[in-house]
Amino acid sequence: MKAPPRLVARTLAVTFVTVAIILSLVFLVLTVDVRDRVRASETEKLQVSEKMFTALEARRQQEQLATITTLAENPTLKAALDTYFTESSFSGLAPEQERSLRDTVTREIDKLAALTAADVLAIVDTRGRVFASAGRSRERWQVDERVQLPGTASLFQGVVALPGGAFRISGASLSLADRDIGALVLGTSLDGNYAQEVSNLSNAGVVIAVNGDVVARTVPPEVTDDLTKAGPDPGGTRRLNGEEYAIRQLFANGPARVYTLTSLDAAARAATRDALFTLGMIAFGAIVLAALGSFWLARMLTEPIDQLVSNIAVMTAARDERPTLQPTGSSRELDALTAAFNQLMKGLTAAEAESRAAYLGAIRALAAALDARDPYTAGHSERVSALSVLIGREMHLGNSDLDVLRLGALLHDIGKIGLSDEVLRKPGSLTTEEYEQIKRHPALGARILRQVPFLAPHLPIVELHHERPDGRGYPFGLRGDDIPLASRIVHVADAYDAMTSARAYRPARARAEAVSELQRYAGTQFDHASVDALLSALPSSTDAPEPALQELLGRQLA
Amino acid sequence: MLFAAVGPAAQQPSIVRGRVEIGIPISTRRPTNAYGRTVGAPKLAPESERRHVVVYLRDAKPAPVRPMHAEIRQRDENFIPRVVAVTVGSDVEFPNDDPIYHNVFSLSRAKNFDLGRYPRGETRSVKFDKPGVVKVFCQIHSHMTATVMVFDHPWFAVPNEDGRFELPPMPAGERLITAWHERLGDTTLRVRVEAGRPVTADFVLPVPEL
Repeated sequence: MKAPPRLVARTLAVTFVTVAIILSLVFLVLTVDVRDRVRASETEKLQVSEKMFTALEARRQQEQLATITTLAENPTLKAALDTYFTESSFSGLAPEQERSLRDTVTREIDKLAALTAADVLAIVDTRGRVFASAGRSRERWQVDERVQLPGTASLFQGVVALPGGAFRISGASLSLADRDIGALVLGTSLDGNYAQEVSNLSNAGVVIAVNGDVVARTVPPEVTDDLTKAGPDPGGTRRLNGEEYAIRQLFANGPARVYTLTSLDAAARAATRDALFTLGMIAFGAIVLAALGSFWLARMLTEPIDQLVSNIAVMTAARDERPTLQPTGSSRELDALTAAFNQLMKGLTAAEAESRAAYLGAIRALAAALDARDPYTAGHSERVSALSVLIGREMHLGNSDLDVLRLGALLHDIGKIGLSDEVLRKPGSLTTEEYEQIKRHPALGARILRQVPFLAPHLPIVELHHERPDGRGYPFGLRGDDIPLASRIVHVADAYDAMTSARAYRPARARAEAVSELQRYAGTQFDHASVDALLSALPSSTDAPEPALQELLGRQLA
Repeated sequence: MLFAAVGPAAQQPSIVRGRVEIGIPISTRRPTNAYGRTVGAPKLAPESERRHVVVYLRDAKPAPVRPMHAEIRQRDENFIPRVVAVTVGSDVEFPNDDPIYHNVFSLSRAKNFDLGRYPRGETRSVKFDKPGVVKVFCQIHSHMTATVMVFDHPWFAVPNEDGRFELPPMPAGERLITAWHERLGDTTLRVRVEAGRPVTADFVLPVPEL
């Protein structure tokens, strides 16, 4: 089974997914919204452009009318023109006079054209033919070209289509007394320059069509192809060349149409790109913030948990039963967990103490049962236990080792249960066979204890408490440090107690005698360090063994 | 369009008389000046369109004529009369009746002149010494125009307000009589002039094309 993911990974994942979902929604809304907004704003822009164009054009037309009215009052121009026509119809014009009159007319309108900076300034005679023209587009107003002027009013405006191109014109009749001798026309060429000019003003594409043919445009030809194919349509939106365009008709006069159009798709693309860039920056910021935040959050959760885990690990390693884990103070929940853990530990400790007490009682009962078989050995196990602990303490053993020592010593002779009373209680010296029987008791004890798993730590004491450092002990004849320390200690304590106790076959020996005996055989029969420890642990060399031991035992058995 | 009443041939010169009719009255438009203001209507009785016609013998051989004296006044920013017919060598006065300056000039081949500016009460005179048509304008008021017809023979006339005219006696024979109008141009009748009795030539001038 796979290990579950770390908390940090989880919080990061949750945060990222949340941020991603929010950003996706924002993106979706933004895209749709941007499109709608762009459509509205572009349409609005075109409408504004149209209004502005209309207003500007109205003003321009008015100004042109004023201009042309003034220009049409030029006396020299009119005189030359009237003289030309009157005399040519009366008696014909001499060539030099015709040239002179034409020169006069041409000079005058050149002057006027320079003043107005118009594309063209032309004189159209009463038969509707160009008499003279000036300005940069004069080539398209050839002399004698027929021009269909819009209306016959003294002031007129409109569009004329000539072979050379269409012109938006303002005109005034040239009047003498009560008759017209022709018309003076100020023309603006509806060409690429004009389209560009309008396009710059409206900030959108411009298409000029005359009689349904596109004559000028500021957009690609594919777009205008679609536009003319679909026919004129003032306003609205239309698909042209695969893109959606908003279209307004700026101007419709005679054969001429001026449209302004702008690609909604292109505008939406640009706006979306801008919005996405902004969104991208926000997303980046949000993800960084979210990552930092979730990392911090995870750290806030995991750090105290890690601390608790390591505390528990330390406690476990040290078998420290100090039952309290310090609350981390990081969150109420963790503190509750700590308290619950402490409560659990307290319960466990209590249960362990109880079971230890029960276990101790059982072992003690076993030892007591053994001791009760022989009046001479009564209390022997308890005393050996107390002495062993005394030695162990002197040797600075740990609490758990002392526990092992205490219980192991209590049980060290448990194997004797398997010996017959005759051998055990025999007052005289033992036969070799009997002695061999006696020597079997450590192995017997070990066999009994093996049945009980929780007595395993005490097994070496029971099995090896008759081994000697010189290797002449039994049952295995182990040497020196091959014998566990606990076994060596118990061996010394056993010997000391045996020597200082009465037996059926001999009286108790004095302490000093026992001590010298131990000292004599220290290093061979007895473990040197354990003997030294016992000797330094015994209260003094004064001959008062019983009270001291009683006191000692009393303390141990309390 | 030809209404020529041709009488029997005669050796004696005969006068040609007749009437000029204008088919449909020409719609008159009040001129506007440079500032869009309508020029004031003439305070005098408006001259009949018929007074803007000159009837003359076409292709006449030059004949000795006596100089005449004529006058074209500048009044209410108009030339009055608008059409004058004189003999070669005649003087025409251009008195200024308006309280403003005028500047009479002409670009015509028969008489090219520029009288310059002059105020009310002053007059300038021009001698017309070549036959032909002379268009007269004002350099200040571009709508003002007048025509002086200069003939090197005596057979011409300007109709009265009824349109009636009478040409001096001319030799018998086939003659071309022309009525010239400022706007409508020439209309010519062929007449047979016979001695002893007047010839009638009635003109109906063409309707102006609009």
